[in-house]
Amino acid sequence: MTYRISVDTGGTFTDVVVADAEGKLRISKALTTPRRAFEGINTALADVSSTLGLSVRDLLSLSESFTYGTTRATNAIVEGKTARTAFFTTHGFPDILLLREGGKLDPFRQIPYPPPYVPRYLTFEIEERIDSEGDVFIPLNEGSVRAALERCRDLEVQAIGVSLLWSIVNPAHELRVGELIADVLPDVPFTLSHQLNPIVREYRRTSSCVIDASLKPLMQEHLSSLDADLRAAGFKGHLFIATSFGGSWRPEEVIERPIYSVGSGPSMAPVAALSYTVAERSTDEHSEDFLVCDTGGTTFDVGLVSGGQINYTAETWLGGRWIGHITGIRSVDVKSIGAGGGSIAWLDPGGLLRVGPQSAGADPGPACYGRGGTLPTVTDSAVVLGYIDPGYFLGGRLSLDVDAARRALAEHIAAPLGWSVEDAASAVLVIATENIVGAIREITISQGIDPREVTIVAGGGASGLNIVPIARELGCTRVMLPSTAGALSACGAMYADIISEFSVSRYVETRGLDFDAVNEALASVEARAKAFLQGLEDIDPLSTRIEFLVAARYRQQVWELDIPLAGSRLESEADVRVLEQTFHDTHRRVFAVDEPGQYLECLVWKSRATAVTAKPSVSARTRESADGDMVKHAPAFFRNVGLTETPMYSGVLLTPGMCVDGPAIIREPTTTVVVYPGSTATVTPLGNYLLEIGPEPADVAAAGIREEVAAS
Amino acid sequence: MSLDPVLLAVIANRLDTIVREMENTLLRTGRSAVLNMARDFSCALITGDNRLLASAEGLPVHVIGMEFLAEAVTELHDDIREGDAFLHNDPYLGNTHPADHVILVPVFVDGVHIFTAAAKAHQADCGNANPTTYMPFARDIYEEGGLIFPAVRVQRDNEDIADVIRMCRRRIRVPDQWYGDYLAMVGAARIGETRLKELVAKYGLDTIKQFIEEWFDYSERRVAHVISQMPKGTIVGHGRHDPFGPLPDGIPINVKVSIDPAAGMIDIDLTDNIDCVPAGVNESRTCAMNNVMTGVFNSIDPDIPHNAGTFRRITVRLRENCVVGIPRFPHSCSVATTNVGERLVVTTQKAFADAWDGYGLAEGACGIGPGYAVVSGIDWRKNNEPYVNQKFLGSQGGPAGPEIDGWITYGNSVTNGLMFRDSVEIDEQKYPIRVTEIRVRPDSEGSGRRRGAPGFRVAYGPKHDEMRAFYVTDGCHFPPRGVRGGGDAAASLPFKVTADGQEDGLPPIASTDLQAGELLLHLLSGGGGYGDPLEREVERVRDDVLSEFVTFERARDVYGVVFANTELSDALAVDVEATERHRESLRAMRGNTSPANA
Repeated sequence: MTYRISVDTGGTFTDVVVADAEGKLRISKALTTPRRAFEGINTALADVSSTLGLSVRDLLSLSESFTYGTTRATNAIVEGKTARTAFFTTHGFPDILLLREGGKLDPFRQIPYPPPYVPRYLTFEIEERIDSEGDVFIPLNEGSVRAALERCRDLEVQAIGVSLLWSIVNPAHELRVGELIADVLPDVPFTLSHQLNPIVREYRRTSSCVIDASLKPLMQEHLSSLDADLRAAGFKGHLFIATSFGGSWRPEEVIERPIYSVGSGPSMAPVAALSYTVAERSTDEHSEDFLVCDTGGTTFDVGLVSGGQINYTAETWLGGRWIGHITGIRSVDVKSIGAGGGSIAWLDPGGLLRVGPQSAGADPGPACYGRGGTLPTVTDSAVVLGYIDPGYFLGGRLSLDVDAARRALAEHIAAPLGWSVEDAASAVLVIATENIVGAIREITISQGIDPREVTIVAGGGASGLNIVPIARELGCTRVMLPSTAGALSACGAMYADIISEFSVSRYVETRGLDFDAVNEALASVEARAKAFLQGLEDIDPLSTRIEFLVAARYRQQVWELDIPLAGSRLESEADVRVLEQTFHDTHRRVFAVDEPGQYLECLVWKSRATAVTAKPSVSARTRESADGDMVKHAPAFFRNVGLTETPMYSGVLLTPGMCVDGPAIIREPTTTVVVYPGSTATVTPLGNYLLEIGPEPADVAAAGIREEVAAS
Repeated sequence: MSLDPVLLAVIANRLDTIVREMENTLLRTGRSAVLNMARDFSCALITGDNRLLASAEGLPVHVIGMEFLAEAVTELHDDIREGDAFLHNDPYLGNTHPADHVILVPVFVDGVHIFTAAAKAHQADCGNANPTTYMPFARDIYEEGGLIFPAVRVQRDNEDIADVIRMCRRRIRVPDQWYGDYLAMVGAARIGETRLKELVAKYGLDTIKQFIEEWFDYSERRVAHVISQMPKGTIVGHGRHDPFGPLPDGIPINVKVSIDPAAGMIDIDLTDNIDCVPAGVNESRTCAMNNVMTGVFNSIDPDIPHNAGTFRRITVRLRENCVVGIPRFPHSCSVATTNVGERLVVTTQKAFADAWDGYGLAEGACGIGPGYAVVSGIDWRKNNEPYVNQKFLGSQGGPAGPEIDGWITYGNSVTNGLMFRDSVEIDEQKYPIRVTEIRVRPDSEGSGRRRGAPGFRVAYGPKHDEMRAFYVTDGCHFPPRGVRGGGDAAASLPFKVTADGQEDGLPPIASTDLQAGELLLHLLSGGGGYGDPLEREVERVRDDVLSEFVTFERARDVYGVVFANTELSDALAVDVEATERHRESLRAMRGNTSPANA
């Protein structure tokens, strides 16, 4: 018997998933132990291993892989607990990190200007300059480097990011600075911008570079100790670390480029969604575009999978778009919206109902937590409406105060508007839904995806509360809600392949294309991809592949689109025409216009290496517990229906093929699914929920359960 | 019966989403750096009867007054139909200045013109007599020389009207660049059209019509409530644009602000100002209005909607043939969006601050000096192809508010920090120039309990062939002023650096030709401060010193902060006792007079 383990360590909870040889998943949660991650993992593993009749040591020694996702790097950045990092820049440009790219959201709102990632007194100007054509305009003054390094020594600098202008065209100066650092301060880790992220635009490349350097000491220590702890506890298999790329790497690769662990947890939710939908597809031929929604207490995360491919972005900001710090690297496109269960509802001075952006957080939390909160939240509204069982919140660990929730809604919303408390609560959910819908529309549309044509995959403990109205407002008719929704990211890590991208900057135009230059660039990224895959031979991947892409734009544009190449080289004018046509099509899809006949400017040539790893097959859920009632009835409130006696199903007792017509509520140990009027939940063959959403009915007749197809 | 307030919020949110989708299209598909890097564009939705409905995060100078553009379309044409698009840049018919081209698409539902979708973008070139989009010396619109389109139909049945396109291609420099930007604007407006039709299909025309009226009423209630909480009174703010060429005394500006909380009204009177001047710096009607509105919105609760409902509570009085009023043809409005326009914004917000403590802002930096020059020449790397475009390499300081320090990447008062900056590498890749320096200019901030943002020092020049640069600096003679004891910022100073490194001063408003090896250098001004610098928290002054915004000398002389050491690291320590003593002596020295400007 062999097992596979995956872990997602968040700021509060550590989710652990264990798959057995048949692909059956067991899930457990424990509190995260920031000082030593393994302690929390061990607690959760003990919970799982006991159900298997094993010790943790037995379980670990029987496991062939352990995939670890963590918010360690993200939290360190947010909390300002990264290494003391220096920034080496081209002389004349010490304020790249301060200025960023400009821009701000609200013209009339005064907000404090955020400080740069590296303070000015740790920024060192290196005398050198390379031009955009790659010529050396000012030779490197090594004295200026050595002086900077001596000052770094005095200031006890722990990491150095080196980002010089045009190093992507001629890396000689950055490479030499790297040699000097290794010579003068051999124990200080450093990052060279052209090696980490060879993109044009000095701010983005520099931000990647200094963030990466600042994480090196920390992540080296963190991953090394986890590895040691796992080995000491009996683990003999392969350790993988989840990356923001939606794949995994071995620890040494993450230690080399730790910025790729930033946001690695949320990037796994789309991986899980893709695995589930592919597995379900044997009985379910539908759209390959889907939206992955993961709802937490304070944020709602949205990712996108189009045409069976996870969407990526190069614009991930930590601490706010334009005003925070951009990671600058390509990563799974997961956008966070400040809308969760804790978002506060309020009336503005014009009498309009608003929800958020203020959140009650965990302390004092929603009014119903009974911890002193008096302002009404989304969670309070769900309690008032009868969607959340006050006696079974967080598996019964927190008993909810329904009266406090009603009081908060009555005082702040219902009374001033002259409404009933239920109408007010229902309206709060509508506005919370609308905030999310607007954000999803922007995210999908900017990618050229029509939200009406997608399937939503919903995860997170709170997503079931309003995923039906979210889908309905988007015009989307199908929602998949996995039974493991509560640990979607950790499940995703279980299905992650090993993926890495390699890129080289080489500017060419498709008019009179320089084939030699392009093919030399492609050969170099292919060679690096092959070397990477060869280094994985001991893992014995099931298969490997290399894909090629180019970042291209129309003449005179400055924002590129990533366009896949049909082959590994451009051999003929015909190949170039195919590339141009693919670009025209993509441009029209994304931006509604194209310019046939216009040539392209190609900037960055990329290879993407994928090693497909052995992973558990997604298998049917088995029902562990047969105790209790499958259904009981309690009042719940729905818009256009009013308060109505509503069936409440115990999810663990439903079997594949069963259909639940709304209004109804399904309670799972880690999530609640509200089946609104006009929608139907079907238990899929694998034990997940497929919600089919029709128009909102004006009123509702009888509802209940149907046995539609006999379960196999 | 009134609309469900939940539906009201939902539809308002949908409209903003549509505008953002239009903006995203413009940013990603625009060709010139003005669009695709600097984001010098805005989109808006206007009702069929020409009221501004939604503008999301448009530039203040662009969106307020967009309704006048739609009005020109409906007044000039009685054969508007589905599939039309109009090109409009006429400053006498509601546009800002001729360099802002606007595409207006009327949106029809069941044959009724229910909305207009508008996309406005500053062009890299608009066919002026000189290769610049700002012509400060033009005595009239003929000398200015650009092509003017008074709401001219440019598409019928969704197809370009080739005559108009050919005219533009013949008279606008680097025509492919213009056409690419034109396509981006049309794409944005057409996306707006599609989405608006979907919106009406979903909710029904009657609901949408009802929404429009109720949304305006709601917006009016919001702003009325905000004004009702403000102090009553009237103040006249005085400002002045720098002198130049034909205007040796500069341009004086008087803004009379009256707040009537009981009526919930703010009144701005610009009628007591000089007549139009024989130079390109006259305000268009739209700019005169939207710039004082920006000054007002900077000074009151930012959380209100900004649309025709809001505007019901703010009256702006303009007179005909006034430099900050309604321009009399053929006076030139070539530079209407910046310079004098910026002075209107900062004079208005300073008036609020002068009159009522805790309101308004200090003055922010003004003008489009060499850091924002329009440069042109040929590119030897591309077979001597010509290029022309405005640079956004400079960074000048935002004004301090009562609680918040100035915004650093402020740009100028009419864009309020919304615009992006150029990337040095992208600029050097696209144009044959080299940037040699962009760094904070120490001690350029207006001091204060809250300080203005610092300005920057920026230098660049051609690498190979001659480069021409046009620029319109302001704030050389009259730098941004502080308020309520806050200091003025450093003046804005343009230079040419010769091949042997000598820095020669340049006139504030001019054009200059540079050879390879020569540099255009701009020391940009900061923003003015708010409140007494001796009341600034010492930790903030320490941060400013560590950021090299403020030198040790200035920290001591102006902020009264004495340090225990001069270590530029986290070891830097304030000598708290010595600081208190020093601040006392500085206060004693200035007696009962207001703090001196540093």
